[in-house]
Amino acid sequence: MSRILVVEDEKHLAEGLRFNLEAEGYQVQIVETGEAALEVLNQQPAAFDLVVLDVMLPGKDGFTVMSEMRQAGQYTPTLMLTARGHPEDVLKGFEAGADDYLTKPFELSILIARLRGLQRRGDWLRASLKSSGNREGSSSGEHAASAEPVEAVTAPQTDRFSFGDKAVEFDLLELRVGDQIFPLTLMEANVLRYLIQHEGKPVSRRKMLEEVWGLHEDTDTRAIDNFIVRLRRYIEEDPTRPRHLRTVRGVGYRFVASPVEKN
Amino acid sequence: MFVAGRRKSIAFFIALGAGLILVTLLLYIGWVLLNWHTGILVFLSVLLLAIIVSGVVLNTTFLVREIRRNAQHDAFINAVTHELKTPVASIRLYLQTLLTREVDEAKRAEFYHIMLEDSDRLLSTIEQVLRTGRVGPSNRKLNVAPIDLADVVEECLARARMLHHVPVESLNYAAGPAVKIMGDMDEVRAAVSNLIDNAVKYSGPEVNVTVETANLDGKYISLRVKDHGPGIPKTELKQIFKRFYRVSGPLATRVKGTGLGLYIVRSVAKRHGGRAWAESEGPGHGSTFVLQLPIAK
Repeated sequence: MSRILVVEDEKHLAEGLRFNLEAEGYQVQIVETGEAALEVLNQQPAAFDLVVLDVMLPGKDGFTVMSEMRQAGQYTPTLMLTARGHPEDVLKGFEAGADDYLTKPFELSILIARLRGLQRRGDWLRASLKSSGNREGSSSGEHAASAEPVEAVTAPQTDRFSFGDKAVEFDLLELRVGDQIFPLTLMEANVLRYLIQHEGKPVSRRKMLEEVWGLHEDTDTRAIDNFIVRLRRYIEEDPTRPRHLRTVRGVGYRFVASPVEKN
Repeated sequence: MFVAGRRKSIAFFIALGAGLILVTLLLYIGWVLLNWHTGILVFLSVLLLAIIVSGVVLNTTFLVREIRRNAQHDAFINAVTHELKTPVASIRLYLQTLLTREVDEAKRAEFYHIMLEDSDRLLSTIEQVLRTGRVGPSNRKLNVAPIDLADVVEECLARARMLHHVPVESLNYAAGPAVKIMGDMDEVRAAVSNLIDNAVKYSGPEVNVTVETANLDGKYISLRVKDHGPGIPKTELKQIFKRFYRVSGPLATRVKGTGLGLYIVRSVAKRHGGRAWAESEGPGHGSTFVLQLPIAK
């Protein structure tokens, strides 16, 4: 049975969520503060498949809780739920590391659909982790790319993109650079995927906001820059002189898979 | 993020004002030293200087005040958004649940109760916002009649016990001599109810609130609401009665509110020719709110 942690201080909402999620077959635990949530997650990091996190919490707010979770290396898929629906707030949530964001009041059916979506991704992740475990057993020390066939058998929907010595594993939400593995949040992966789909072409910040976040309102499009800065830290040898994730002045960004060296 | 930005701009404007005054003074002193023998000119220049300096000071003061007010207004909008949307979200959630799922009879009744409580909460936020408009300066005439304050207090206490699920013994009432006051029933009830609500809300899990009424020298009757909550720092005792004002720090986020309650209390007191103030020995010592209203003749 999937376990879900609900961080919500409004008792009525929390109980309503519990009733519905239990009816959907989830096992639900409710905590009322961000501090309690972090404690529960620290004590049993792998106990939950999903987290529903409110923003206006007593004490630490949801944004802080979210980024502290991610900093502590907890990548449980998290949906943020809040009354604040300004685009800046939504982006702040994603920047903190949320995987999805829903504003109150919400449609019950949509909340459940989104949670199912997040959980599906978590399950895929686990399935491919298992397969990557097999892979390491059979071909230890080899380059990740050479283990392709094994993975193809166990997880047919492999979604990966390689460039240079780097590979993005979209299902695993991982970025491999040489032997290093960087975990990505869902949104980081989505931004990267969008840029990769438009490889070589400049993509405007506004377009990214619309396509990746589904935001159409006038918004500070610079919020995207923070994502790019983080991604550059993973991908680029010298993040101050990016070769893959280039800035297109006045427009946005351009992804280049195999940059031509000009030294 | 926003707060830091505002603080920076306040500091900038104060520095700008001080700098301008300094430059003016320096120029002026230089000029006087050079022209000390022409008496009338010096006199005129003193006048001009005074005007310029006071202008800069006034300008800076108003700018800083405006920035502060803006910050409070933002916080208010945030708080009201939350206070309005949360109960609506809850009601919708339960309605959708009842529509789409099989719910047994007991649960169904529980859900109806929850929705009723949420709609009460919604209504009280709406009333609070509307009342703020009504009790403001130069608004609506008072509908004055003799009122028995003890009745109002009993009524508000009963409502608070029901609303916050508090047992009778945690909300005590020590009634003083029975005297009537002159007042607008609706407004006095709102003020008393706000004070009691606050006392309960800020008490935390251990509610222990005492309400007392006392006759002061035959002219005023004073209502004291005493709680054993977190107390109030001395510097905030006056501030908390301002519109939209909320004490910053962890407490304000723990207890949700719009920053209108005490503003209404103070406005109602003023409109009735009375006073309202807060007393506290500081954080950790609880606080007492006093509402003074004139006795009916």
